[in-house]
Amino acid sequence: MINRALRLVALAIGLSGCGQSPITSMRAERAIAPTFANLVHTQMVWIGLPPVAASDFAVQARCRRLQGAPSGSGEWTCALTWRGPDRRTLRNSYELFVTTDGCYAATAAGENVGGPMLTSENGRDIRNLLYAFEGCFDTT
Amino acid sequence: MSARGISAVVGVEALKLGAQIKTYLVLAACLAGPFAFATAIRLQSSLPTDTLFGRAVKESGFAVSLVLLGFAALWAFPVLTSIIGGDLFSGEDRYGTWKLVLTRSCSRADVFAGKVITAVIVSMLTICVSAASSIAAGVLVIGPGPLIDLSGIRLTSDQALIRVVLAWASIVAPALAFTAFAVLLSVIFRNSVIGVGLPVVVGLVMQLAAMLDGPELFRRLLITSAFGAWHGLFVQPSYYGPLFDGFALSSACVVLCLTLAFRSLARRDIAG
Repeated sequence: MINRALRLVALAIGLSGCGQSPITSMRAERAIAPTFANLVHTQMVWIGLPPVAASDFAVQARCRRLQGAPSGSGEWTCALTWRGPDRRTLRNSYELFVTTDGCYAATAAGENVGGPMLTSENGRDIRNLLYAFEGCFDTT
Repeated sequence: MSARGISAVVGVEALKLGAQIKTYLVLAACLAGPFAFATAIRLQSSLPTDTLFGRAVKESGFAVSLVLLGFAALWAFPVLTSIIGGDLFSGEDRYGTWKLVLTRSCSRADVFAGKVITAVIVSMLTICVSAASSIAAGVLVIGPGPLIDLSGIRLTSDQALIRVVLAWASIVAPALAFTAFAVLLSVIFRNSVIGVGLPVVVGLVMQLAAMLDGPELFRRLLITSAFGAWHGLFVQPSYYGPLFDGFALSSACVVLCLTLAFRSLARRDIAG
């Protein structure tokens, strides 16, 4: 009985090596672009700036896996292109760590989104939502 | 099998559990753990940033509940839900009391059903206490602030509360699958160490296996994946596929484990 169970586990691990991972660049891009847009919207409200609809930022994302096959969990990088409130085109890039369940943690690469904390219009310290954030996407 | 027989068994098992310090330790840990965590978060400056919602624990009490749910689902619930279920049957072997139990006016089916119902009640109780305690700890110690969900949208306290309760409810099915597995092991191996320990080991192995890249079907077939199915509730538009799959898989596991356990117990030669 134990032998049979071990054989099943070995088969399962063997099978897991075949087939493509559902963590693809298309899924990551479709998840991070709207999430980033929503976060910019929420951040502006928090800081006390006039709100802009998330869709007005027209965020576009290009994501790629850093090592190995083009799909799979692990380290990714995403380049975001979006339209700022003053209609200028802005670029940000994020380093992502994506887990097999389709959840990711994104951290800003470079300095252009500011540090982990910001000060709002009324002098209050608030968390910089764009410095690091998390999200999940459907892997089915 | 009769309702009277089953309720008598449930009553006796409840009485036995009520006299054991283990039961109170489990429930006390579920009750006090979240308050200790929330207080620690409030007092210190570092955040559990490697967990979903970890960055928001100082802003919203609901994030505290979700961080605890994420942690407990991975490490605590396989233990908490097997600690009682894995001992209910093998305890009779340890004390040599099967003959005594089965000479009462209860059939084997009554005893089986009564013990399983007791295990299910205790598992549900641990989840309910953990859920209520973690939400209360978050709201009382940190505050009911709005929550930024996993798609960057701000949820009001009411919206967050509903989703947090649903998230906790979503782990009932996989938790009961672990309880049923513990019951099966407890019946087959007649040993509480295996009944309680093996589900925990299996849970850990499943989690390690889930970290491997591979076809989605393989990951989805692991019971532990259902513990994370609530993530879809915090994304807009929400996705429910993992929740439905997790529920179906867990239900199938419960039915299979309990069927095998009952067949094993019904065929066992206890007279010797």
